[in-house]
Amino acid sequence: MNPEIANPQARAPFHFNSAAHLLRIGRERAANLAEFRDALHLCPEESIFQHTFRTLQEHHFIRQGFSNDFAHWAFADCNEAGLGERLASVDIRSFTSIADLRQRLLQIVNDYLQSHPQSAGRAARKPFYFCASDTVVVPTALVAQSLREFAAGLSQVTIHSIHHHFIEARLRLKLQSNDFSVWLDEDLGLAKLGTRINRIDIYTSTLEGVRQQIVQIVKSAIH
Amino acid sequence: MEDSAGLSGPDTSTETPQPGVSASAGFPKGNQPGGAAVPAAPLPKSERRRKPRISQTPPPPPSPPRLEDYEPIIGRPQLDELRFLAKALQNKTAKMVNSTAVGGGVAEMLNRLVPLLNELEVNTRWEVMTGGNDFFEVTKAFHNALHGGEYTLTKSAQDVFLLTGEQNRQRMKFEEDLVIIHDPQPLGLIHSKQDHAKQGAGRWIWRCHIDLSNPHPDVWGFLRPMVEKFDAAIFSSPEFTKRLPIPQYLLFPCIDPLSEKNKELDESYVQKVCDDFGVDRSRPIVTQISRFDRLKDPVGVIQAYKMAKKYVDCQLVLAGGGASDDPEGAVVLQEVYDAVGDDPDVIVLNLPPWSGLEINALQRASTLIVQKSLKEGFGLTVTEALWKSKPTIAGAVGGIPTQVIDKLTGVLVQSVEGCAYQIRYLLTHPEFAQQLGNNGREHVRENFLMTSNVRRWLILFRILLGLT
Repeated sequence: MNPEIANPQARAPFHFNSAAHLLRIGRERAANLAEFRDALHLCPEESIFQHTFRTLQEHHFIRQGFSNDFAHWAFADCNEAGLGERLASVDIRSFTSIADLRQRLLQIVNDYLQSHPQSAGRAARKPFYFCASDTVVVPTALVAQSLREFAAGLSQVTIHSIHHHFIEARLRLKLQSNDFSVWLDEDLGLAKLGTRINRIDIYTSTLEGVRQQIVQIVKSAIH
Repeated sequence: MEDSAGLSGPDTSTETPQPGVSASAGFPKGNQPGGAAVPAAPLPKSERRRKPRISQTPPPPPSPPRLEDYEPIIGRPQLDELRFLAKALQNKTAKMVNSTAVGGGVAEMLNRLVPLLNELEVNTRWEVMTGGNDFFEVTKAFHNALHGGEYTLTKSAQDVFLLTGEQNRQRMKFEEDLVIIHDPQPLGLIHSKQDHAKQGAGRWIWRCHIDLSNPHPDVWGFLRPMVEKFDAAIFSSPEFTKRLPIPQYLLFPCIDPLSEKNKELDESYVQKVCDDFGVDRSRPIVTQISRFDRLKDPVGVIQAYKMAKKYVDCQLVLAGGGASDDPEGAVVLQEVYDAVGDDPDVIVLNLPPWSGLEINALQRASTLIVQKSLKEGFGLTVTEALWKSKPTIAGAVGGIPTQVIDKLTGVLVQSVEGCAYQIRYLLTHPEFAQQLGNNGREHVRENFLMTSNVRRWLILFRILLGLT
């Protein structure tokens, strides 16, 4: 048994929330990579958020091969496997601001078009439509005051709640962390446990798989 | 929204299967399309098939499901989310208006959506606009023109459209917090928005179920000023939209997992349907469900099956409707029979529109589902197939790529040859095929179920009423 952890009581409870989203169709659209670059530059931050952070939630059941909408479009509709691969390698968890994420995406597209200028004007099989989402935060009745209650709550909440706390949270927190890890650290003094959870790879697992890994880590700490 | 199975036509006769084309439910003897002779060569396999048994008349509609009925499918937390989202709307009222109470996908969807919203205590009424034959002739022509068809917009057509809208406007009252107008037919009702607004209330939403990407310019020019008066518009796909000065939202069409077409079935019933239709479940079954329409490319599916069959054993089931009440459907059905030739492993079923259970059973019995459309709306038959965890091969058109993410939730094809190759590949790589099917089901659970639709409506209502 880890001496650091039994089942301590938190200084403040963890309230499980979730989020419900509605897709809004944006004004920008791109029929080729040059237009895509321009739209990527001009589109609202909500669109970058939608096609990177949110799309992971919409496709949470896919274990491998889906990273973000931009990469998927470059690969599937522009037939630009190299660009698709580079865009797919962008780990959204490295970013705590959408502005930085946009810059990184633009840099990849610009670099690619510099080395592949003939690709800029080639028509895509179908256009990319920039969307955004309007969000309503949904509180749940689940509250955790201890690790046991935390594990129980994690097992019961929706996948949307896991996404809200584990993935979207870093934009709210402006930290390369998540709500779960921050709570474990700040309210239970379990920084190492929080770090272990924060290292879970969201790109090689479904969100359900992510949930199970978090629960497993928390449960292993209790016993 | 479209009729998901594409079934239509009242023909219910239960003939002995046509030699050479296997079972042909609802295709009366002596009434083959085009009067073509049916090959007379006896085919032992098809002769062994029993008569398809389809009821002669539509069964009474089942009562709509309650919210609790969805719990085993989406889980308690998701239901709780719906209740939370509805809570802020509980003293609000909404009115849905469309142009038909029965038949068609919109009425089918409203039949489920309205009771669920009311159960969530969002007081929702559904009203149907009325009109004469002249009005519906005009709106049918508008519908085709908005899909890009040729049309000459006359002053008299505009007058009929506006006059009927005005008559309905005088008949209806608009006192609700939210008014939702479905499709172009009732667009004229928007002129009541001004009076409504004087009372300090009323947000108006236009729910466009059709593809507006390439509309006839005159018809769109006539309708557009009405659309621009709404507070928001909703489309089924970003590709179906026009640039408008009002916010545009995306609501995917959806299926009801508890409907006859989609609910879980007893294995014994699936077996019985296969026995009735002469489908051999000991061998792979490739199925396309769609009406007999060239845009669904049934002949292309037969060609793909024949190419694949050189390498893998399989049967092909083509089931749908539309050949009984649509002259072109009958011609296409004859083309299908011609393409089938004397292959006893192709089973062609022309089914009546109330065959939801039979369609469901055929989909569940299938090894692969194909939807090789050349043009498509959203493609709800694809949604149905994915929901049943079926590996799906589909044409990359319309709303299909939203559902079939290539190599992840199914496979997309652009040609007969591509379709043939994917049939071969998926039949010989069942683990990969099943992974596609499993992903497809989760994709539908997340995005294309009636409960997701309810959730999106509730969010939209909250946004428009400033209750976020």
